[in-house]
Amino acid sequence: MYALIVTQMVVSGVLMGLIYALIAYGFQLTYATSKSINFGQGELVMVSAFFSLTLLNVGVPYWLMVPGGMLFGALLGLVVERAGVRLALEQKSEGWILMTIILGLFAFSVAENIWGRDDRPFPTPISSNPIQIFGIHITPVEISVAIGVFALMGMIELFKRKTLLGKAFEAVSADRDAAELMGISATRTIMLSYGLSGVVAALAGILIAPITTVGPTMASALILKAFSVAVVAGLDSGFGVVVIGMTLGALESLTSFYLGSGWREAPGLILLILALAIRPMGVFGKASIRKV
Amino acid sequence: MLVVDNVHAGYGASEVLVGISLEVRKATVVALIGANGAGKTTTMRTISGNVKPTQGRVLLDGKPVQGLDASRIARLGLSHSPEGRKVFGPLSVEDNLLLGAYSRLPAFFGFRRQAERELAHVYQLFPRLRERRSQAAGTLSGGEQQMLAIGRALMANPKVMLLDEPSMGLAPVIVQEVFNTIRRLKEEGITLLLVEQFAKSALEVADYAYVIEHGRIALEGTPADLHKDERVLAAYLG
Repeated sequence: MYALIVTQMVVSGVLMGLIYALIAYGFQLTYATSKSINFGQGELVMVSAFFSLTLLNVGVPYWLMVPGGMLFGALLGLVVERAGVRLALEQKSEGWILMTIILGLFAFSVAENIWGRDDRPFPTPISSNPIQIFGIHITPVEISVAIGVFALMGMIELFKRKTLLGKAFEAVSADRDAAELMGISATRTIMLSYGLSGVVAALAGILIAPITTVGPTMASALILKAFSVAVVAGLDSGFGVVVIGMTLGALESLTSFYLGSGWREAPGLILLILALAIRPMGVFGKASIRKV
Repeated sequence: MLVVDNVHAGYGASEVLVGISLEVRKATVVALIGANGAGKTTTMRTISGNVKPTQGRVLLDGKPVQGLDASRIARLGLSHSPEGRKVFGPLSVEDNLLLGAYSRLPAFFGFRRQAERELAHVYQLFPRLRERRSQAAGTLSGGEQQMLAIGRALMANPKVMLLDEPSMGLAPVIVQEVFNTIRRLKEEGITLLLVEQFAKSALEVADYAYVIEHGRIALEGTPADLHKDERVLAAYLG
């Protein structure tokens, strides 16, 4: 019985960890092409979730809301790139850090004013009644999280490997100047990466909202964990964020089970500090070796 | 085909090029030789758009391209095989080649089929690349990476190709191989601007040559002319 409870904790932790992984993956996408990330990504998750809730409230069916919300996330990603990142990158400055934080704060205020400060339930046709698999209770909503995360990440990875545009994406990550010499526009590729990152964040919001409810602060803890996962795993391994994300999720639920829920945030931060101290390029990150 | 007219360029406040002018006619090989730091690579980077000129004009096939983004200039028909090769290390050899033809291939599917002819041409020039087609480019030897960089630049069927220091860091026997390839491309009618430290080998393949000193053209002429010039002999041909 005891083993079952522990397994149960691990499974629900792992599912939460997949959401961290998905958001962390969004960080990787923009970092790969532009060496920049959106520090307002949490607000992007939240605003996309609110927008999707509004879509549901005006009568859009769930299965249309999902692509609608993701499209909205893509648009927000493009706005962030245009308004917060592009000029800074052109001037080779680090101004994008402050700009994306400011855009996030701005989005937070806008969301509070449009949708209010209360947490709201996010209706979903997927059942929250647990079913038993090998004695472990798991809800279809939780399963939908796993399916959604793997489906989207799988599609983006396929895109990067199988299409020429995807290969161009990798080329810009590998050597921006050389990619430009091939006729690949780095600016457009960075736009694409921010758009994809927005899609990823929006889906994370839509998937997690039925479990956590929707509110202005829904993503603030989430984003910190996602950031830890991205740093611990390394900013260039999609496989790495999944592994580290799931590990962190499991560690968190075990910590709150054994030590009390007040310690829930501890593993993420400890992992982050350890990673920065011992292996700053990330557990799965490749140290970039410069060759002459 | 390519005209560089009184171009000034540099990095930040330091001006490296102080009025470079040169011309590459269709189906000729032109060599640009000079000492380290004379501005050879900066000239190449300015032509292809990685560096923006502060003054002067660059004409590609009669059209001004100075100041355009490198990716635009590439799409207009200029290929640049850069100094240090700059292959995309994590990507496979074949992916590197396909990306060389990026601007004229479909972005999603069917791109490999449309590049069949150019791929076959490059593989014929460099059979070694065919053997290693699915290997990551970063794991190739220096000579193979240089072949890949040349092949990648050829994939676009360029109007003009820039080839920067193909012999850099390579063993003499590989350098010979690279120059054999250049000779073969010349027979096929390529329009090429070649930057080389090995002035002697460069002058052997070139139809015309420029000597660059301190960011300006100090001398120009056919290889035969330059061979008669004592300064060139002393400084570059030892």
